[in-house]
Amino acid sequence: MAFDVQFAIKTFPTILTGVPMTLFITMFSIIIGLYIGLLIAICRINEIPILKTIAAVYVSFIRGTPILIQLYIVFYGVPELLTYLQQSGVLTLSTYGLPHIMIALLAFTMNASAYLSENIRSALNSVDKGQLEAAYSIGMTSSQSLRRIIIPQALVVALPNFSNVFLEIAKDTSLAFSVMIVEIMATATVAASSGYRYLEAYVDAAIIYFIVCYIFGKLFVFLENRLKRYKNISL
Amino acid sequence: MDKIFDVTYIFHSIPLIAKALPLTLFIMILSLFFGLILGLLLTAMKLKNNIIINSIANGYVAFIRGTPPLLQLFLVFYGLPLVVHSIGIDINDWDKVVFAIITFSLNSSAFLSEVMRSAYLAVDVGQREAALSIGMNTIQTITRVIIPQAFVIAVPNLGNLIISLLKETSYVFTIGVIDILGKAKLIGANGYGVRQLEVYIGVAFIYWAICLIIEKMISLYEHMHTSKFLKNNADH
Repeated sequence: MAFDVQFAIKTFPTILTGVPMTLFITMFSIIIGLYIGLLIAICRINEIPILKTIAAVYVSFIRGTPILIQLYIVFYGVPELLTYLQQSGVLTLSTYGLPHIMIALLAFTMNASAYLSENIRSALNSVDKGQLEAAYSIGMTSSQSLRRIIIPQALVVALPNFSNVFLEIAKDTSLAFSVMIVEIMATATVAASSGYRYLEAYVDAAIIYFIVCYIFGKLFVFLENRLKRYKNISL
Repeated sequence: MDKIFDVTYIFHSIPLIAKALPLTLFIMILSLFFGLILGLLLTAMKLKNNIIINSIANGYVAFIRGTPPLLQLFLVFYGLPLVVHSIGIDINDWDKVVFAIITFSLNSSAFLSEVMRSAYLAVDVGQREAALSIGMNTIQTITRVIIPQAFVIAVPNLGNLIISLLKETSYVFTIGVIDILGKAKLIGANGYGVRQLEVYIGVAFIYWAICLIIEKMISLYEHMHTSKFLKNNADH
């Protein structure tokens, strides 16, 4: 059984249909993960008691376990939790048939939030303290100074790491097939199983992942250069 | 079933799952070993002043970094027998663990080469020149002067790499290798699979513990090294 180039070309468009799902999961988890990550980072930087410890354990757990296991824990854990809540009367909603996409989104968002919180923490710490003091001294509130002064500067520092996390998540979504999400990996497996041409289908998938990662890698570099523009303005 | 979630089952399952721990560590350590050798080769290729050799190494690294490890595992698992078959060797009856080790060696070599290259470049050029000026040859310079210094620089990144490699070994159950996750799946499937969640939490604890141990070891090494360095400086 040699490599069937014809088959590889023929199935390429089929596998391409998995791209939107991969990108959807990635973008959703990065965007929501950013907000949660910011909250975690703020808890840890301001050393809020209890919350600080919870955040540290959460981040350590997520970073110390494979995403695959996190997916399984959410996959089996959330329905059990919901059933439990229902039995104890807290929840009256029917939880029958929780969509799998919710499971995947939850797991990947949790994963992204932990990694992003670390990046946000180091980026926020990298901004000079004088900037915050200056913002306060001209009468800005905490949220104003964070939004207008700190975040724009921290973003430049954080962006290369964001780019890494984004690409990591994009690649990790290949595991979402284990909770029955039809993305690139799953479409490749389905396409392959019709003729047992796994290699051809996976080569297609590899090319697609590579292109996706390449485009987003370039996009982040472009974004980084744009965000750096303020540094070029001479006073 | 009177209880939905049984915490005691987590602790009951951990020793059972841990029986497969040697295999997970075996895959991880062998992959790291071969990855280091291959990574060294890639680093040498990247540092060469030859466009063709450079672009081969860079292309390889870009491909590995741009595709999911799971996909790489499948490509090796399905592709390698075909490639090797074409030169007349049949490896279809090889143990699946071999495919896992090949994949993770190839995978980690790309990431290791990046770490090694940046560590190598971080060592001051003067060190190399000094070593050459006192009559060391290139190999002596690299092994006695550059590598000891580059290693210290590389340690934090190396630690992160080992941790992510450990986590990636969890994918091997997809080709039928019974590592700790595979074991957890088997145990979870017992008793109509009502205790899956407990088992997965158990296996998560095992991964978490190993990661914490690796992190601790790395920071201990860094601590030891800096204290040694400071002591040396104080003596002068």
